[in-house]
Amino acid sequence: MPKQEHIRNFCIIAHIDHGKSTLADRIMEVTKIVGDRERREQYLDKMELERERGITIKAQTVRIPYTAQDGKQYILNLIDTPGHVDFNYEVSRSLAACEGALLVVDATQGVEAQTLANVYLALDHNHEIIPVLNKIDLPSSDVERVKAEIEESIGLDCAQALPVSAKTGEGVPAVIEAIIERLPAPEGDPAAPLKALIFDSWYDAYQGVVVLFRVMEGTIKRNAQIRLMNTGKEYEVLRLGVFSPEGKDVQQLAAGEVGFLCGSIKELGDAQVGDTITLAENPATEAVPGFKEVQPMVFCGLYPTDSDEYENLKVALEKLQLNDAAFSYEAETSQALGFGFRCGFLGLLHMEIIQERLEREFEVELIATAPSVIYKVDVTDGSTIEVDNPSKLPDGSRIATLYEPYVKMDIHVPNEYVGNVMKLCEEKRGLQKNLHYLAVNRVIVTYELPFAEIVYDFFDRLKSMTKGYASMDYEPIDYRASDLVRLDILLNGEPVDALAVIVHKDRAYPYGRALALKLKRTIPRQMFEVAIQAAIGNKVIARETVSAFRKNVLAKCYGGDITRKRKLLEKQKEGKKRMKRMGNVELPQEAFLAALRVGDE
Amino acid sequence: MLLYIHVPFCRSRCRYCAFHSVALGKGVQAEHSAAVHSYCRTVLCEMQAWAAHWGKLEVESIFFGGGTPSLLPVQAIGRLVEEAHKLFAVRPEAEISMEANPESLTSKAQACACRAAGINRLSLGVQSMDDAFLRILGRAHRAQDVVQAVSYARQAGISNINLDLMWALPQQSVAHWLHTLRQVLCLQPEHISAYALTLEEGTALAQEVDTGQFTQPDEAAQSAMFLEGAALLAEAGFEHYEISNFARAGFACRHNQGYWQGQDYLGLGPAATSTMAGRRWTNPSNQASWEKAVQAHSLDAAPELLSPLNRVLEMIMLRLRTSRGLPLADYTALTGLDFMASHAKLVTALREHDLICLHKGHLCLTQQGMLLSNSIISSIFEITEQKLRAQGWEEAL
Repeated sequence: MPKQEHIRNFCIIAHIDHGKSTLADRIMEVTKIVGDRERREQYLDKMELERERGITIKAQTVRIPYTAQDGKQYILNLIDTPGHVDFNYEVSRSLAACEGALLVVDATQGVEAQTLANVYLALDHNHEIIPVLNKIDLPSSDVERVKAEIEESIGLDCAQALPVSAKTGEGVPAVIEAIIERLPAPEGDPAAPLKALIFDSWYDAYQGVVVLFRVMEGTIKRNAQIRLMNTGKEYEVLRLGVFSPEGKDVQQLAAGEVGFLCGSIKELGDAQVGDTITLAENPATEAVPGFKEVQPMVFCGLYPTDSDEYENLKVALEKLQLNDAAFSYEAETSQALGFGFRCGFLGLLHMEIIQERLEREFEVELIATAPSVIYKVDVTDGSTIEVDNPSKLPDGSRIATLYEPYVKMDIHVPNEYVGNVMKLCEEKRGLQKNLHYLAVNRVIVTYELPFAEIVYDFFDRLKSMTKGYASMDYEPIDYRASDLVRLDILLNGEPVDALAVIVHKDRAYPYGRALALKLKRTIPRQMFEVAIQAAIGNKVIARETVSAFRKNVLAKCYGGDITRKRKLLEKQKEGKKRMKRMGNVELPQEAFLAALRVGDE
Repeated sequence: MLLYIHVPFCRSRCRYCAFHSVALGKGVQAEHSAAVHSYCRTVLCEMQAWAAHWGKLEVESIFFGGGTPSLLPVQAIGRLVEEAHKLFAVRPEAEISMEANPESLTSKAQACACRAAGINRLSLGVQSMDDAFLRILGRAHRAQDVVQAVSYARQAGISNINLDLMWALPQQSVAHWLHTLRQVLCLQPEHISAYALTLEEGTALAQEVDTGQFTQPDEAAQSAMFLEGAALLAEAGFEHYEISNFARAGFACRHNQGYWQGQDYLGLGPAATSTMAGRRWTNPSNQASWEKAVQAHSLDAAPELLSPLNRVLEMIMLRLRTSRGLPLADYTALTGLDFMASHAKLVTALREHDLICLHKGHLCLTQQGMLLSNSIISSIFEITEQKLRAQGWEEAL
C-alpha cells in the first residue's frame, strides 16, 4: 500500500484542442505504463466519437507507478476531465477528487474562455496549478506572450510554467517531475469512517455499474458492505481495483487513493457522480460536499424516421441511458411525427453527441425537433407549470406570467471582433454586464442572455462572426419573466405540433416570416399546393405557398417499359418514405430543423 | 396473347432517341444488308421456337415496332405475318400494326404491298408538322412527306392510321403545338398518339438542352399543351383513352390496350420484352447476342418473376394510365383489400382537388390527374404496399 506522501492525484484542464489528451498519452508513454505497441492515438479517449471529435466525453482515469529522480516510488493518479461546458458538473467532481492540476494552454492560441472557467473551478477546490504551455514545436507558438496572458488574466505565477510539446514529447519528463515536486500529497485519515467521492461511473454489461472514486477518508476493502449516502442504498464490494491502465484487482484502497469498484449496482442513477461512498457498518456523518443532481437543460423530440423503428429507438435510448444518467427521455406523441420521445440533455453538445451515437452505434435514423429549454409558466388558475415542449405551452389567455432561463455568458475574443460579438448578443436579447481587457488584444465580453437564444444558432453564428477566434463559457443564473409567445406553424390550415416554437414577442413577426420562408424552401413541391402559415394564437402573421406540381407524368408505358417504370414510381415512393405526412402534406426531415436554421440567410 | 416484333433498323438515328437501333446509313438498301437478312432468319427461328414451347396460342394482335419496320423488305413482313398465322391461332379480326416513317413509305405500290402482307393498321412517326421542329429532332422527313405517306396508305385501303406526335419540344409554344394538331387533323387519322418529349440522357438533344442551346417549355406551358391539346382533339371527336393516346370510336389500339390490361405478350427481336405467365424477360439488344441466345434457347434463362405485389402495383400503374381506370373489383380480387377504404384519406384529397373520379366501379384519373399521374400512382403504391405488409405479405415483398 502506497504511503500518502508518495501519492499525487492530479487532472489536466484545458480548452478543447489545446492538447490535453495528447499530453496524457505522452505521460503514459514516458512512465512506460503503455507500451508502444498498445499505443493508440489518445489512449484515454475511448469512444470512437470522442476520438473523432477530439473531445473527452466521459472522464477516464489511470494509476501510474513512477520512480522519480529522487529514487522514490510514487503513484500518480491522472484523472481525466471532460472538456466541454455541458459537462461542467462532471469536471467539478473530477477536480474535487484531486489536489492539483496541470493547466494546459496552447502556446499558439493563448487563454480561452474554457480555460478560465476550468481554472476558476480548480481554484475553488484550492488546487495547486502548474501552467503547461503546449505546442512549442509549432513556429507560431509564443510562450512569453501566453505566459503574460495567463498571469494577467488568472493571476497565476508563470515563472515556473513548463514549455512542452505533447506531440513530440519534449518537456514531458519535466512535467512529471513537477507533479511530484509541486503538487501536494493527499491527506485524510485511513482509520476514519469511509468517505469516498464518486467522480465517474458507467454501465458495463457484465459487471453492472462500475464506479470510479477517490477515497477522501478511511479505507475501503473488498467484500465490504458499502452505502451510497445520497440514495441510502447498500451494496457489497464484489470487485475493487485500479486502472493502470487495464483493470487490476486490489484488496483495499485507503485515504488518498483512487480506484474503482463493482457491486451489482444495476442502474447508473444509483451511483451518481458526486455521491459519497461510506461503509454500512461505520458510516461517515457527513458526505463529501458539492453533490447535486444533474438536470437536463435542453430538450428535443427524437422520432424514428420510419415508424416501424420505434421499438429499436426505445431500446437504443434505454441502453444509452445506462451509460449516461444525465440524459433523460420519456415517451411522447406528436401528430406530425407519431410516436417518439422527448429527451433532455445537459446542453447542445450533449444533445448532438447522443443523436450521433443513436445514429452511428445503434443505426437508428432519427428526426430531431428543434431544441427547447424549460419555461416556467404561472397559469391564471394560480398554478405554476414547467414546459419543455413549445407545443405544450398553454394558450396565451391562460398565461399570467411566462419565465425563461437566463445564463451568464463569457466570450473571449480578439478585440477586432468585439463589435460583432456585441451585435450578436444584442440580437439575441442579451444584457451586457461587463467588458474586460484580458490582454492588449483580447477581451472578455460578459452578457446575460436568455438560454433559449443560445440553443438555436448562437455557437455557429459566434464562430462565423469571429472567424473562429471566439471562445465561450456559460452558466445558468436564473429565470426571468419575459414577453414570450408561441409561434405555431400551420400547413394547409392544420397546426404542426412539432414545428411550434416559443419566441420573444418583439421578434415574432420577422421570425415567423423567416421561418415560413425557410419552410417554403425546405418543402418540395408535391401534388397538392401547400399553404404555410405562421400564427400567434388565431392571428396569422406570415404566409407562404409551395405551389403544386403542374406535370409529373410518364409519356409512354408499353411492354418493354413496364418494369423500369414500375421501379421508377417505386423510387418516388421510397423518396416519400423518408417524409412525414401531415394530412396531405409530405414533410421532409429537414423541415423539422428549419426553426434552427432561420438565421442562415 | 399479343405478339410484338421488334425491328431494330433505322435509316439514321434521331437526335432524341435512346432506343436500341442499328443505323443502316444512307446508301444501304435493306435488301442487301447482311444484318437485315440474318435478322429476318433469326426472328423466324425465334417465333418457331416459342410456338414449339408454348403451343398454338391465341394471338389478338401483332405489332411491328422499332426502329423502323418500314425499312424491312415488305416480303419479310409478309413472311413473318404468314408464319405467325401458321404457328399461332391468330384471330381473324386481329389487329396487325406496323410502324413506319413517312420518308420510308414512298409509293402507293409499297403501301399496297404492306396491306397485302396483312398489315391493317399503320402507325406513322410524324412527330411534328413543322419542318423547323423536325430538324431539331433530327428526323429524316419533312411535313410534306407525311401528307404523301398518309395519301399512299389511304389509296392502298389502309383504314386505320395512327399518327405519332411529340409535344413539349424545345422552343415550342402552346400555339405551335395546337397548330401541329390542327394540321394533323386535316389528314383525318383514326388515331393520334401525342407524347411529351422525354429528354433521355446521352442523346444529342438532351445535351443541347443541357448546354442551353435549346430550352424545353416550362411546366405551365407543358401543362397547357396537354390540356388544350386534349380539348382540341376531343372537339374533333377523339376519345382520350390513355394518357398519350386518342382515338375515334372503335379505333383504340388493341395491342397497346392489351399491355395496359395486363395481357401476356411475346416479344421477338433484339431488345424486345416478353411477359408470359408471370415471367418477364428482355432479349439482348445486341443483334449478335440475341441471335446466339435464340439458337441456344436461352432467351428466358433469367426471367424476372413477377411477385404478387408487383402484379398489384403494375395493375395500378397500367390501368390508371387509361381513361377506363382501375377496376376496383379486380384490385380487391388480387389484394383482398377494399381500395376505397384502404386509401380513404388519399382518395378524399384527390377528389377534392379534382384529380380522380369514380365511374362504374372504376377509379380513373381526370385530365389534371393524368398530368400528375406519377405522384398519384406512387402515393397509391405507398399505401397499398403498407396495407399489404400489414396483412402479412412480407415474404412476397
